[in-house]
Amino acid sequence: MYSIGAVARMLDMPTSTLRAWEERYAITTPTRSPGSQRLYSRTQVEQLRYIKAQIDSGVSAADAHRMLSDELRAGHLPHATGEDSAEGRPLILIVEKDPYAAGLAEYFLRTEGWEVATAFDATQATLHFQERSPGIVVLDLLMSGGAGFRLVTEFSIDPNVQVIAISSINSADEAMRLGAAAFIQKPLEPLALVSTVRDLLGRSALVGVKRKVRG
Amino acid sequence: MTDRVPTGSARLDEILNGGLLKNAINLVTGVPGSGKTILSQQVVFNNATKERPALYLTTLSEPLDKVLRYGESLTFFNRDALQDGRVIYQDVGPQLSEEGLGALTATVDRALKEIRPGLVVIDSVRSLHAIAPDGAGYRQFLFDLVRRLTGAATTSIWNAPYSRAEVLNEPEAAIADSIVALDVKQVGTRETRVLQVLKLRGSGYRIGEHMYRVTSDGLQAFPRLAEARAQAGYDLSPSHAGTGIGAVDELLGAGGGYWAGACTLIAGPTGVGKTLMGLHFLYHGGEAGEPGILATFQENETQLARIVGSFGWSIDDPNVHVLSRGVVDMNIDEWVYELLELAEKTSAKRIVIDSLLDVAKAAGDPIRFREWMFSMTQRFTRSGVSLMLIVEVPDLFQLYRVSEDAISHLSDNVILLQYVQEDAKLSRALTILKTRAMRHQPMVRRYEITNDGFVLGDVISLNR
Repeated sequence: MYSIGAVARMLDMPTSTLRAWEERYAITTPTRSPGSQRLYSRTQVEQLRYIKAQIDSGVSAADAHRMLSDELRAGHLPHATGEDSAEGRPLILIVEKDPYAAGLAEYFLRTEGWEVATAFDATQATLHFQERSPGIVVLDLLMSGGAGFRLVTEFSIDPNVQVIAISSINSADEAMRLGAAAFIQKPLEPLALVSTVRDLLGRSALVGVKRKVRG
Repeated sequence: MTDRVPTGSARLDEILNGGLLKNAINLVTGVPGSGKTILSQQVVFNNATKERPALYLTTLSEPLDKVLRYGESLTFFNRDALQDGRVIYQDVGPQLSEEGLGALTATVDRALKEIRPGLVVIDSVRSLHAIAPDGAGYRQFLFDLVRRLTGAATTSIWNAPYSRAEVLNEPEAAIADSIVALDVKQVGTRETRVLQVLKLRGSGYRIGEHMYRVTSDGLQAFPRLAEARAQAGYDLSPSHAGTGIGAVDELLGAGGGYWAGACTLIAGPTGVGKTLMGLHFLYHGGEAGEPGILATFQENETQLARIVGSFGWSIDDPNVHVLSRGVVDMNIDEWVYELLELAEKTSAKRIVIDSLLDVAKAAGDPIRFREWMFSMTQRFTRSGVSLMLIVEVPDLFQLYRVSEDAISHLSDNVILLQYVQEDAKLSRALTILKTRAMRHQPMVRRYEITNDGFVLGDVISLNR
């Protein structure tokens, strides 16, 4: 699940546009957490990416939504336009108290070609964060007596960092309010973890390229 | 609710409130031959995908070749799934014998990373006791194994040949998130397979013993009917279901027949015409476009065809269906699903059970029978199906009681058929003893059985 902020960053567009589309066309409507935070699924991010790609190629927003709705009716899921994520290769920091779970997550991410560091408690996490400047932090909210919640806020303040909050209990709402870009419920499905990281890195690679062009 | 893994048997899922627990340890116990391996394979083949394959590990009790050889005869066994890697069987037995319990944890470690299974079966865990150094060592091993499996998003099924009495004292039971016990129960001279959920963390389930069968389609469970009482009591539909006998409809009052969805008991001695009354009810419904079912233990279809034909009806009537079986080796919890399924398939509005005593005898246990009766009548009443239950009573003339086991209490209407001795002549008489929410005429009426069936006559006095 992704926050509206994370989706906006992934697609490089303002959150106000996402809200306006949702209101006007009501095709891609995120679910709401009990605290009324918008929660986007991967499929919805793909749908929005499709809209964005159509608009970029000169189609009006209304037509792009009509095309999306036709595609969905025909049973096609619009294709991910697939920014390659491997380019940026920022470090991923896993903060997880359970060594087995951490080991598996590390293995899954490394086999995708990413560089990974692991921390087993809050102190270690802060240390790694300061010394190694990760681009993504996978963070267990319930570690070290709930210190995870504090760390989400601390890490998310850095504009170059995106936090994927994880927890055994559904805490998407709190996590996103504190600034997390995404939330995944534990235990981590390898695919869910890898694709979330890929999505978030995808946008940072994209933004990185654009920044360079603008600069 | 916690996520579930469907078992491949809709009724077993019903008992489990949706299926086995996902990303959890599910312990399946039962004496050898109770179907643990079949159930595990059923879950495996129903859930394995390319992204999240299923890993089936055999340890020291079942050689892998044997599991495969017998597995192949099961209808859900899919060779393609073996070829494309959706289902992976692996024998850890030899390594376990050589290296000890560490061989299994190492195998699981490797698999969780490389195969990324969504499902891991360990068949069986009990045999691992034998190679553990001691009790404490075994517990430590289980703990290590669980830590690994819990860290990954993996559902595991552990098979263990424990009996129901044993399992709760074993360390596996404390660790498992769910326990499904398979067992064989002796009732008189009969053996019945029963399944019982002993534990299901974070969720309700259907309590008690449920009958099951093991077939080549896998494990088929029959959840005990155990309906809660409808909140507002009986909720009868406002329409009527005619009895098929005009004069009886009149006796029943203004509506003309029983309330649709009501349960009517027909009690009487042998040969008095109870089945005939049931046939009137069914064929009258058939004519009115209300399909019906005659569930009989009394006659087979050939005998029935002759009886039905002699009154001018046809056994091939598209609106009257017959569910006929003998009482030998009958299990009421299994049979009721045959009835429910046929009722659903035929959209039946009327059902006659001939006779209830056959069902009661098959049930064996009177308490269970009463529970079953209550649940069945509730189920049909709720869906607006009118039930007619036929009960044979032993007394030919003076009846002292209509039924045992509180059957009449559960019925909305009770109709009594009996013999009356009038000098040398034996007559038949009908009395409406009870109707719920109707003003019936409580008179004893003479009736005759003619070629046209049931013909109601005049009022008769029993005080001769």
